[in-house]
This record gives sequence, structure tokens and C-alpha cells, in this order.
Amino acid sequence: MLDLNGLPLLSLITFIPLAGALVIAFLPRERLDLIRWAALATSLLAWAVSLLLVVGFDRSMPGFQFGEVADWVPAFGIQYKLGVDGISLALVVLTTTLTWISILASFSPIKERVKEYMISFLILEVGMVGVFLALDMFLFYIFWELVLIPMYLIIGIWGGANRIYATIKFVLYTLVGSLLMLVAILAVAYSYQAATGTWVGAFDYLTLHAYGFDPTLQFWAFAGFFLAFAIKVPMFPFHTWLPDAHVEAPTAGSVILAGVLLKLGGYGLLRFAVPLFPQAAADWAPLIIVLSLIAIVYGAIVALVQPDLKKLVAYSSVSHMGFVTLGIFIFTEQGVHGAVLQMIAHGIITGALFLLVGVIYERTHDRAIAKMGGLAGALPVYSAIFGFFVLASLGLPGLAGFVGEFLVIVGAFDYFPWAAAVAALAMMLGAAYLLFMYQRVVFGDLSEFLKGLGHHLTDMTRVEVVTLAPLVVLAVGFGVFPGLLLELFQGPVNEFLARVGPAALALR
Amino acid sequence: MITVDANTMLALLPPVGVALLAMLLVLIDMARPGRDRLLVTFASGGLAILIALTVVIGPLDFGGGHVGLLTSAQEVFAGAYVRDSLTVLIDLVMMSICLLTILFGPDYLRPRGLPTAEFAAMLLFAITGGMLIGGARDLLLLFLALELLVLPGYLLAGYAKRDGLSTEGAIKYFLLGSFSSAIFLFGLVLTFGYTGTTNISEVAAAVTQIVSGSGVGGLAPALLMGLALLTTGAAFKIAAVPFHYWTPDAYQGSPTPVTGYLSVGPKVAAFALILRLFVDALGGLKADWTPFIVVLAAATMTLGNLVALSQDNIKRMLAYSSIAHTGYILVGLAAFGGAPAGSPAEQAGLQSVLFYSVAYTFMNLGAFACVAALQRRPGVTSQIATFAGLGRRAPLLAALMLLFLLSLTGIPPLAGFWAKWYVIQAALQVGGWLTLLAVLTVLNAAAAAFYYLRVAVYMYMRDPSENAPPVTVGGATRAGLGLAALGTVAIGLIPPVTIAVIVMAERAAQALL
Repeated sequence: MLDLNGLPLLSLITFIPLAGALVIAFLPRERLDLIRWAALATSLLAWAVSLLLVVGFDRSMPGFQFGEVADWVPAFGIQYKLGVDGISLALVVLTTTLTWISILASFSPIKERVKEYMISFLILEVGMVGVFLALDMFLFYIFWELVLIPMYLIIGIWGGANRIYATIKFVLYTLVGSLLMLVAILAVAYSYQAATGTWVGAFDYLTLHAYGFDPTLQFWAFAGFFLAFAIKVPMFPFHTWLPDAHVEAPTAGSVILAGVLLKLGGYGLLRFAVPLFPQAAADWAPLIIVLSLIAIVYGAIVALVQPDLKKLVAYSSVSHMGFVTLGIFIFTEQGVHGAVLQMIAHGIITGALFLLVGVIYERTHDRAIAKMGGLAGALPVYSAIFGFFVLASLGLPGLAGFVGEFLVIVGAFDYFPWAAAVAALAMMLGAAYLLFMYQRVVFGDLSEFLKGLGHHLTDMTRVEVVTLAPLVVLAVGFGVFPGLLLELFQGPVNEFLARVGPAALALR
Repeated sequence: MITVDANTMLALLPPVGVALLAMLLVLIDMARPGRDRLLVTFASGGLAILIALTVVIGPLDFGGGHVGLLTSAQEVFAGAYVRDSLTVLIDLVMMSICLLTILFGPDYLRPRGLPTAEFAAMLLFAITGGMLIGGARDLLLLFLALELLVLPGYLLAGYAKRDGLSTEGAIKYFLLGSFSSAIFLFGLVLTFGYTGTTNISEVAAAVTQIVSGSGVGGLAPALLMGLALLTTGAAFKIAAVPFHYWTPDAYQGSPTPVTGYLSVGPKVAAFALILRLFVDALGGLKADWTPFIVVLAAATMTLGNLVALSQDNIKRMLAYSSIAHTGYILVGLAAFGGAPAGSPAEQAGLQSVLFYSVAYTFMNLGAFACVAALQRRPGVTSQIATFAGLGRRAPLLAALMLLFLLSLTGIPPLAGFWAKWYVIQAALQVGGWLTLLAVLTVLNAAAAAFYYLRVAVYMYMRDPSENAPPVTVGGATRAGLGLAALGTVAIGLIPPVTIAVIVMAERAAQALL
């Protein structure tokens, strides 16, 4: 068998897209197809390497694997330190998968400034993968901010009519959170340095993870981290940037935004905010549980009345991501498992829904639900796949969306029966807005608006099917065999629970 | 007894060299009028040589031990002037400022019929003043150097003398500047009156005595009055709120390269003055001045940013942004003031002031160089709309502007990020009120992102107007832009350079403590 341990696999996955972006920067700008294929090849290569990671990952071992360490800024003990555990492995593969799908899905919609678009997208991938792999707080922050700039450009340059408002709102919200997180990172590092007398380890995740900070510092540092992640998730009431960003972003931008960027927030809570400051997390938990429930119900209710397909999916994201934060902060085994699974499932399903909205938008240049109708007859393949993902999103048992939400509700039931009840009721609302939307778009007679498009209204192209097929496979696969993922998460989840255990017990 | 030996000569060489260079430029221009290209080559070459000489002379430490001929601080003129690590750092920064401005300035001035020689000569005279401030260990020299710094600045602000706005800005700058100099001088006089000396070491000793109660007359109200006047005067020079009113008009009216210089040169020099005066001489009184600095820092960055948000004129926007940056630098000074005497946080505070000044020099001048390059053709306004579609019209220039704006925003890993990082880190080390100031700093940084990114929006997300003229960037401007970009990227991204600047700032801070 191939020996993977000698290779810097994590650095390869992180920086292959950067190398690709550099190469594309020197390609002639008129050679659109060359640029597109180069970008696709780069993202497929990064994907392939991430699959090697899956092959080489030892599921029987807890903790981080494939570690890479190098000194970076020795004066502060800052290191270039990467590592992967079960949770980050799943998220990295989700990222690399969605990236090539998004790049392929951009082939036909993006016709202007293709070169800059592909470069932005590949740099975005660097940042996203880096966030999931970084084990040094400083490195993590760098990657976290690196995500911001390409996404700013993707929404702002290739977005819809109101793109500038949306992109600036996105940047400002995110930046406020991340800068306060920077203060928290520094405060933690300094407090560690003051207590131990050395900077060595002051930014090292594993060192800080094992260190207990005093309650006051925990309280404020948690607040700083939490705000950054809550804005990214986004939790109610920090979610208002999301509908704007989603509506204005190009299709592939929405896919990545929903599929990966929101997961950065969930991952941050799970990896950093809670384990580093368990006491503060337990203190804040009741408030966060309530906010999560509000997000679940509010997102669903608002989605119910959306006239715009993309906005509906955007608000459904607020609702679905509410399950993630709920699952994390009830501090039970099922809850945390459910939260991570829900992140993966939401990435797959909502990513697919945005792709599907993009398909219809490219034909009609409209997303108004009221103008649609009767697609079932005109676009049978499309309607079938759309129906599949609507069912997956509303949590049909047997598909990936069900398992995560179910586990979160089960996990909540023992200690917070009221929370479980509210969340379960909200799942019904989810069924309501999704089926209602599906009925209006797909069933009935072909609408006047769609008739007017005539022969432009064609069924899905082969490329579009190729972009969606892997997501169908994943949604079914993880719905039927969730154990594949749960086995991967077991080690990290145990560690998470051991870390918050004593503090969380007091909460009950 | 004043002795003149080799070391004295070495210690004085950089400022004297710059002054000589300025005079030579004037002479060359008289002998061979109108040879702009020659003048620019001569001035920038001369500055490059002087920068190299300053490094060779030292005392300088990039982290690997001393390099240079002088291995320790060298006092000259009976202690009135000193060449120590702080002097060297300030000299290097001032000469870099001058070099960058001389590179990108003439391409803007020439099409407008403004002479290059006087521009370069006045810049050189002004930075001579700045460099002397860096090494001044005597209150009188400090004041004289300050005047040498600001007088050419008034002339430069009114350099486009047929332009009403330029003249108006220059008059405002002159009136408020000379007024604040007078206030400052009055403060110096009161300090002299209570300490009986103009030598900074002796002032420091006297102040320590007065504070500890063993001096004559205890802590007299008039000394505090002097401190208040000095604070006011210095706040004018760095354009801290509420002493900033001259800035926007002076910056908007001045020719763009002059604005670039004004936003950096006098500011860095004035911070050198604050370090020599407030830290070195009046460090014993820091419990008295720190509260003012904290308030000034908070007000300066917040107001600067809030007003910058609503500007449509790029020069005015950058003027208010430079006010905001003054606020961030003041946070570092406040961290020094708030730290217990002798604690490591004191040094961290001073170090952050110096590091920020270095980073700010490159990114802010870079941004102004981009504006000047865009405005090379007379008639191009300073409205932010002139940036529309620059991403297509001049991709490289737009990319550089984006780089400088991102650095000014504080996006890692560019120089501006590290600058904020050090300031925040110093404030957090002190804790207490300074923690709040650190939080306010990052909130301000987030607000600032709005107006910096607005320029990026125009460059990349809007189409160029129909009659937008083509942008051609001159050779010297290219060199200036390249140097500024190199500084912004290298200080942030290349560890040996980052460390060299960190160590230089550290040594300079240690020279003060």
C-alpha cells in the first residue's frame, strides 16, 4: 500500500489551489476554455488528494493525524501547524467536493472576467481548507480572513443587481466578528504567556486546549470567539447578511456560501470556542439554545413566505443551521454527532438546492416562485432531481438530512424536552415551506411566463447532471449508512464531551 | 566642551547629508534648469546612498547582533543630539518617505507645470528636520528641528500656487501650524522654567525628583500647565481629534504627492517628537498625561473613521483615514502610559508605536502614489468615481491600490495587519481600560473596511465611465509604487523582514527606556 505518512498531504490540499491560481494568472485572458479547464483540473487534483486522505486516515486512532509543524514567528511561538481529525476530514472532503462542483457549474453562467473568477474561487478554497486544518490560532485566523476577500469579490463582481450592498454587508458583518475574535485570540495568548512565562505554545491549539483559563477570561474570550462564529453560522439575530449575500451571489458562490462558509462557523464553535472555554460555554449555553430554537423556527416561518427561490433556500439555511448550534450546545453525544452530521448533510443538500435554483435561473433569468409552475411536464429530469433534494432537505428518513436533525432532537430530549419539542415541530414547518414551494414550481400547468420562453426552456444539460449526481449519491449514502460518518466523528466527539463534561453536567 | 572626532562626524552624517543633497539639487537646477529626470535620478540616488550609509553607520540591530560602525549610542554636541537605535529607525523611515515621494511626485507635478527641483529640495529640508527630531536630546534642538520640519511643509501645501484650494489649504495649515508651534513652545518654556535645563536627560531627572516630592516646590501646577500645552501642540502636529481641523482642507488642497508626504512625514516625525519628549523627558509624568492620550486615541480613531465613511473625495477620505491611523498609533502610546513602570508592557507599547509608523509609511504612501498615478493627467478629479473600472483600465495599478487598501484595513498577512496586531497586543498586555481601547480599535478597523473597500468596489465592480482617459504610469512612479508594495508585502509576509523591523522597533524602544 502507498505510504502516505511521508507526504505533506495537508499542505498539498491547501496549496494546490493556490498553485493553480498562480498558473491561471499567467494564462492569456481570452482563452476562456483553457482557464476553465485549468481551474477544474486544479480543484479535481485537490479533491483527489483529499480522497487519499480518507484512504490513509486511521479511524481507530483518536486525535489529529497527518500533522505538519514548522516554526513561523518564533518570537510569539506562532507555528505553521496543520492536522486533521474525523470532523475536519469530513469537512475538508466536503469543501474539495463542492469546490470542483461549483467550478464546473460556473462554466456556462460565468462569461465575464473568467480568469479573475477562477482565481478568486481557487484562493477561496485555500482559505476554507486552511481553516479546517489549522491547529495554530494565528494560522487559523489568517485562513479565516483569507476566505473573506475572494468571497467579497465573487459576490461583488459576478453577483446580481444589488450585489454591492450585499457584499459590503457580508464583509462588514464578518469582519466585526473576526476582529473581535482576533482580540480574544491575543488576550488568550497573552494570558497564557503571563501565566507560564513563555510564548511557546501561546497560539498552539493543543497546548491551549489542555490549559484551563480563569473564568473571567473564559467569559470574554468565549464572547469574542462566539460572536465571530455566530455571525458566520449565522445564528439569529446575526443572520441578516445571509439572505442578501445568497440572493446576490452567483450560483456557485451561493453553493460555497451555504455548503462550506456556514460550516466554518459551526466548526469554529465545535473546535475552538467550546473546548477552549468549556466553563464559559456552559454559562452561555442556555442563551445559545434559545437563540438556536428561535433560528430554527424563525428561519422556517420566514422561508414560508418568501417569493424568491433563493431567498427561501437561504432562510431554510438559517433554520437548518439552528440544529447545528442546538446540537453543539446541548452537550450530549447524540447532539454533537447530530450537529456534525447536519453540517455535512446541509452542505450537500443545500449546495444542491442552490445549484438547482441556478439551473432554472439560467433558463428563465428569474427566481420568482409566482412566475413558475408546471415544470414537471417541461423539465422531467430537473423536476425529479429537484424533488429528491426537496425531500432530502425536509428530512425524509433514508436521506442525509434526516439523520442529523433526528440525532439532535434525540440528544436534546433527555435534558431539554421542551427544546426537542420545539425543534421537532419546526421540522414540520420545514416540510411545509419546501413542499409548498415545490408544488407551486413543479406541478400544475406550465405558467404563462415559462410558456413565453419557448424553446429556451430545456431540461438539464449533461454538465448540470454531472454536477448534481455526486451530491445525490452522497445524500443517499449518508442517509442509509450514517455510521460511515458517525464512526469517523466518534473520537473527536468523545474528546469534545470529555472537555465540556463537568461544566455541562452542572447545566442539567 | 565639544569634541569633533570620527564618531561625531559619523553620527551627524545622515541629517547633514540630506541637507547637503537638498542644496546640491537647487544648485544643479540653477546650472541645468529643466532637467527633471536628472534631478529625480540624482535625488533618489543620493537618498539611496544615504540610506545605505545610515545602515552602515548604525547603531543598528536586525536581530543578529549589531551591524554598522557605531556599536552603541553616540552623543554629540554635549548630548544635544544622539545617534541611537531610535534615531536610526526614524532616519530610515524619514528617508524612505522622502525617496518614495520624490519617485512618484514629479510625474504628477510635471504635467501641471510645477517645478521638480524645489519640490525635491523642500522635501529634503523637511525630512532633515524630521531626522533631527529623531535624535534630539535637547528641548531647543527639538523645537528648532520641528520648525525645520513644518516650514517647508507649509510651502509644499501651497505648491500649486495658482490653485485656490491649494492656497486655502496652505494658509489654514500655516495658521494653525504656527499657532500650535507657539503653544508648544510655551509648554517647553514652562518645562524649562521648572526643571532649569533644556537637556532631556536632565529634564527627566528633574521631573523624577519633582514627582517623588524631593524636588523644589513639589509638583507645581505650572508644570502641569506646561504639560497640557505640550500635549496640545503635539496633538496638533499629529492631527489628533479635536486638533485635526486643518487636516482635511490641507490634504485636499495640496498637490497629491504633497498630500501623501503630509499624511506620513510630519506624522511620523511628530511621533518621534512625542517619544523624545513625553516618553524620554516627561516619562515621569506619564500618570498625568496618559488619561489624555487614552481619550485622544479613542476620539481620534472613532471620529476619523466615522467622517471618512461619508467622503466622496479620495484625498479627503485618505485624510480622515490618516487621522484614524493616528488614533491607532496613540493606542500604543497609551499602552506605554498605562503600563506599570519597568514592565515589559511599557516596551511593547513603544515598540508598537514604532512598528506601526514603519508599516503605515509604506501602505499609506503607496495608496497616495496610486492616486497620484491615476491623476497624472491634469483635470482628473479626486472624486472616488475616477476609480470606476480601474480594474479593467489599469489592472496592475488597481491591484496595487487593492493591496494598499487591504493593508490599511489590516487584512493579514500584510504590513498593516501586523501593525494593528502589535498595538492591540500591547494594549491587552496592560489590561484594564486599555482592553476596551483594544476592542474599540478593532471595531474601528471593521468600520474602516467599509470605506477602503468602497474604493475597491469602484475599481472592480463598476464600469469605467465613457470618456475615462487612458492611464499611463511613468517610470519613476512605477519604481515608487514598486518600493511601497515591496515594503507592504515584505514587512507582512517575509519573516526575516518582519523580524528585522520588529527588532529595530524593539531596540529603539529600549533606547528610550
